[in-house]
Amino acid sequence: MTFKTCLHASVAALAMMASGAVNAEVTVLGWPGGPEETALRAVTEIYNARPDLAAENKVELLFTSRDGFFDKLQVDLAAGSTAFDINLIATYSIGRYAPFMEPITLSDQAGAVFGDTVLKTMQFDGAQYGVPTDLSLHFLYYRSDLIDALLADDAAKAKYSEIAMKHLGKAMEPKAPADWTWEDFVANALYFTQSINPDSPTRYGTVIQAKNLLFNMMVFHSWPRSYGGNWMDDAGAITVDSEAFRTALSQAKMLFDLGATPPDSTSYEYAEANAAYASGQVAAMVQWNAAAGELTAAQAATGTSAPPAGPDGRFTHIHGLGLGLNKAAENKEGAIAFLQWLSTEEAALAYAKAGGAPGLASETAAKLAADRPDLVQVGEYASTYGFVMNGGTSENALSVYEVQAKEFTGYWAGTQDLDTALKNTAAAMTDLLK
Amino acid sequence: MTPRRSVENALLAGPLVLFLLAVLGFPTLLSLIYGFSETSFQTLTTPQFSGLKNFRDVAADPAFWQAAWFSLRFGAITALLQCGLGLALAVYLAPLARRHGWTVAILIIPMIVAPAMMGLMYRLVLHEFAGPVPHYLYSWFGWSPSFLGPANVFKTVVVAETLQWTPFAFLLFLTACQSIPEDLREAAAVDGTRPWRLFWKIELPLMMPTVFVALFIRFIDGFRVFDNIYTLVGAGPGGSTTSMSIYIYETFLRRGEIGKALAAAILLFATAFVVLAAAPRLLRGRSA
Repeated sequence: MTFKTCLHASVAALAMMASGAVNAEVTVLGWPGGPEETALRAVTEIYNARPDLAAENKVELLFTSRDGFFDKLQVDLAAGSTAFDINLIATYSIGRYAPFMEPITLSDQAGAVFGDTVLKTMQFDGAQYGVPTDLSLHFLYYRSDLIDALLADDAAKAKYSEIAMKHLGKAMEPKAPADWTWEDFVANALYFTQSINPDSPTRYGTVIQAKNLLFNMMVFHSWPRSYGGNWMDDAGAITVDSEAFRTALSQAKMLFDLGATPPDSTSYEYAEANAAYASGQVAAMVQWNAAAGELTAAQAATGTSAPPAGPDGRFTHIHGLGLGLNKAAENKEGAIAFLQWLSTEEAALAYAKAGGAPGLASETAAKLAADRPDLVQVGEYASTYGFVMNGGTSENALSVYEVQAKEFTGYWAGTQDLDTALKNTAAAMTDLLK
Repeated sequence: MTPRRSVENALLAGPLVLFLLAVLGFPTLLSLIYGFSETSFQTLTTPQFSGLKNFRDVAADPAFWQAAWFSLRFGAITALLQCGLGLALAVYLAPLARRHGWTVAILIIPMIVAPAMMGLMYRLVLHEFAGPVPHYLYSWFGWSPSFLGPANVFKTVVVAETLQWTPFAFLLFLTACQSIPEDLREAAAVDGTRPWRLFWKIELPLMMPTVFVALFIRFIDGFRVFDNIYTLVGAGPGGSTTSMSIYIYETFLRRGEIGKALAAAILLFATAFVVLAAAPRLLRGRSA
């Protein structure tokens, strides 16, 4: 092969690569490696198959890795990257990314399809920054076979009361999980822990994912919220150093100290906590709704309920993932058209059927009752128990979660006391949310 | 050097210098600008000069000192362990390695694995419910230490780092050991020197420069550790496994305090520079 031939071959290869790159003109950076990716691929196929869609407006998907996803996205957006026209956003990061994105107008159907509560998870400063694609909240997962056996056995009930009296100072009776308060959750966790109750069929009563990671704080927040906890009051004063947070943090700390959650759960995140429950050695846990399929498949006798209640009621943290418009997008027209189509009923139903978890208004969710009954439950819990902490969508919301993760996990692991943890958290939050 | 030769040298070295300026010089300059400025992701192109404020913030941050202490302890302990084990292995296995060179290839396999992959592997292997190590400990003894729990996590990351990088020290010491003239050993044997005394009085003194270099390299590597700890346990509960590199990463990306993160990086660079400058002098002192 001569030099000239090599050169021609190289030019031809480059031309082929270049032509491949311009085939898809709307580029979407999605949330990789889960049901969200599968669902997004499915609806993109439907969209690209539309006969009226121009070739330059076809959609191509980009996926990187979940590790450090939001950090990488932040750098790309700040640098004015044109590598994608549409990018993922989450409720807790809208404030941080909004300066590098553009508000959008959704389809006329969006209000009826998603409902105002869910649409608000993608709003910042009154503007709509994204189409809500997935809604996340928490379920209480429990081993119904173990709870049923406990409720049917008088000797076990007596043991339960004895353990509750010893550690919680009152002789409590076991209840059905749907009626649990957080005290019942703690008592149940203690009863099903072998180091406290050698007859327990499980090694641990619960598993608290307590790695120093912001997402783990979201799972924890339902606990202090049910005692009336919040990040700030209406006047903007930081209220984290409150009786509500003290009670919730202390109750969780008791579970760590008494070995009712695995000792290395201070290094657990979503996958590790699920593996613990799936092993059959954990009786109950609070976890994201996305885990329902995995946990039920591993332990068939798994029941689900809303998280336990406190004096202020029953609550679940709620946030949404969605797709929004990059300010530096090169094909804004095509990107907006795709986002508007995503907010129609046709797209939302297809997304849900393909495994996604959109937060749908009850009328839309009813159309999926046969295929996705869990989405009906998600919609019901979101509207009845869903909450977002005051300041939870602010520019520094992610940093607030980071601070809490560091301080609260430090308290649970015994590296600092409760007063220090709350004092440090309040000081940092005052700075971040001023 | 003639002027013509000088021009030739400049022309030949020019591309390399330009490459280094582009690859190293530009990021260094940018880091210096941001380190002395109030900068966030929103103001990347318009940093406001803030003097030494970022450096004062870093010095007043307890998390920075906690990370510095962690890195110092981690770097010192892992360097000592790796060099101690590496030296023992090298001296003990030198005759075997001389006869069967392929044994060295097996021993250095851990070094080939990317540190981040090593962290992920241990995360799986040591998990109480999914990991084989706790599984067999429970099966055989009915008990397993919580490897990644608060009480053991420091020991676990030290052992993980030691297992991965001891082969590096081993390789250095093996080379040093094999470069000792054989006639020295033979002369000592003729004089009736016992093996321990041979090692202590002849082999070790001849290997000391390599020992210092190995200790130095391993300490620097341990001090700046990031990947394997971050993928294994993250910053740790209460920041208990936050190394200097993790501190800088989290301050930069997670908290968006770009100026403060780069001020910490500049401090780290300055410290490393002083140590690097002092090390050859120390080594020369030992050799003399």
